[in-house]
Amino acid sequence: MGKQQIETIESDVLCVGGGIAGLMAAISARDAGATVVIAEKGNALYSGRGRAGNDHFWCYIPEVHGSDMESFLKECLKGPKLRIMQAGTSMKVLRTFLENSFEVVKLWDSWGIPMKHDGIWEFSGHSFPGDIFTHLKYKGHAQKRVLTNKALEKGARIVNRVMIFDLLRDESGVCGALGVDTRQDRMFVFKAKSVIVGTGVVERLYPSPVPGWMASTPGCLSLTGDGRAMAYRAGADIVGPESPKRHMGPRYFGRFGQATWVGVLRDPHGKPIGPYVTKPDRRYGDMTMEARSTILEDYLKSGRGPVYMDCRGISEEDYAYMMEAFVHEGLTAMINYLKEEKVDLRKHPVEFGTYHIYPEAKIWINEKAETSVKGLYAAGDESIVSIGPAATYGWIAGHSAATFARGAGVTGRIPGAYVEEKGSMIQGMLSREQGPDWKETNIALQQIMQDYVGFVRTETLMSAGLSYVRRLKEKATSSMVARNRWELTRALETLNLLDLGELVFLAARERKETRALHNRPDYPLTDPVLDGKAIFVKQVDGKPLMEWKRVE
Amino acid sequence: MPPVIDNNKCIQCGTCGEVCAEDVYFGSEEGKLPVVTYPEFCFHCNCCVEECPVDAITLRIPLPEMLLYKREEESV
Repeated sequence: MGKQQIETIESDVLCVGGGIAGLMAAISARDAGATVVIAEKGNALYSGRGRAGNDHFWCYIPEVHGSDMESFLKECLKGPKLRIMQAGTSMKVLRTFLENSFEVVKLWDSWGIPMKHDGIWEFSGHSFPGDIFTHLKYKGHAQKRVLTNKALEKGARIVNRVMIFDLLRDESGVCGALGVDTRQDRMFVFKAKSVIVGTGVVERLYPSPVPGWMASTPGCLSLTGDGRAMAYRAGADIVGPESPKRHMGPRYFGRFGQATWVGVLRDPHGKPIGPYVTKPDRRYGDMTMEARSTILEDYLKSGRGPVYMDCRGISEEDYAYMMEAFVHEGLTAMINYLKEEKVDLRKHPVEFGTYHIYPEAKIWINEKAETSVKGLYAAGDESIVSIGPAATYGWIAGHSAATFARGAGVTGRIPGAYVEEKGSMIQGMLSREQGPDWKETNIALQQIMQDYVGFVRTETLMSAGLSYVRRLKEKATSSMVARNRWELTRALETLNLLDLGELVFLAARERKETRALHNRPDYPLTDPVLDGKAIFVKQVDGKPLMEWKRVE
Repeated sequence: MPPVIDNNKCIQCGTCGEVCAEDVYFGSEEGKLPVVTYPEFCFHCNCCVEECPVDAITLRIPLPEMLLYKREEESV
């Protein structure tokens, strides 16, 4: 096989990933006068975690919540779910998000994403009865189409089916990125004055609840934390990779949208498992799962399960509300399936389960969405989680990156030798005839993650696991095969996952306490001294450097 | 396994292959019947079903992911 063709694309701002954050960043960077390219691994119209829609938008609307934003923020973080999701995100960033969130809500509404319900700002779900409401209920089914069209209308260039797999650096900071075409035999060098990564969540690092069946997941199989891995390799601070998060939903049929369900979680005898609701109420859903995400698993383990999401007794009005919200949350496949199976949620309780581990590693950003590397910005799930923050911080990152690009002068120098080296690595995978493919490698990684830094984490297990994962990475790097461009894309994702897996081990060993889902039998207490602090990991001279820092 | 194409309805427009983020239709060409090259990588987002202009696609949810629910009329 000959040398790959290399194409060069230049812009002021490069958005890595065309999800909610990337598209919002592109729109605002265009507004600020920058030339913008979005590189998207799939198709921006249907990619990312917001691809098929969302129905809850965390935001602060003064006319609804009152003028005291600070107390609203405190109230929001009372619920463990938001607290865990936003761990590792600075309070300054969270405040800036809330301050700007209503502007973004109004923008979306004016662009054609319906943010109101019957003409009002309606808040429901993700809230404890009698307490404040945190999430705006909206109709996001067409959000990706609206935002993609808006980005194009503003003059952003979208390059679909190109996976960016590494950032390029010069002496001062990030100056571009390297990509592969996921279908054709070519590579891309992107030259940019500033780069915004917004590549979403980390999927495929831990095995899904169905053995050997990766698709049983609520996320998207092609979201593999590429931005985090690339940012780490480029020297950026990654925060809290050890902190696990778990979602809940229909058991085995992995779906997001747990808060879209209007029902009561009940044990097999019909008794509610939590204290919050005794009959379906669209204002709250059942917050029991958010108070403790592993409660469904606890019921199974102690022999008290299974636990059902029981919508029986729901009013006709609330039922219609829930079914419409399923569409906007992107659950039309589930709706069709319910119809085919003749499942009527007004009559048939559906078993719920706790899904697998998602690491909550984040790229550290300040309030301007700057990472710790010059010219590199991050937004969306990889720096501040969930749709409202992704939209708002995408918007902020676009503005900041455009401002930086304006002051940067010329584009940095592309490191030719590095491009060549990466090109050879890719050629190696494509030309080898024998060796493990992405799937074999990915499954090997998943079992090490699950068994050595999964639900039980001890020093002995983790020090063994870390050496296994490093050995696996070495083998994978030198022997993986890719029979075509699709497999090449998956293989590059798997290499990113191997880097992230190593970070989980390193930080999980460093956190010598038990906290939330980080379960260390060798350190069973939660150490109050560590409250408000997080582990920052960055690569210095090719080696990981870890530091405890206060998150402010 | 998902997705399932009704070859009689399909107009070979290539839309399904264009929209799939996971590219499970890898290798399909406009003007030919689509091929589901990587069915196990479909996670049932339903985009191709919704975008197909002639409703030629359905998803078959794989058995390991079947929805588990309770029917009172079946209980013993």
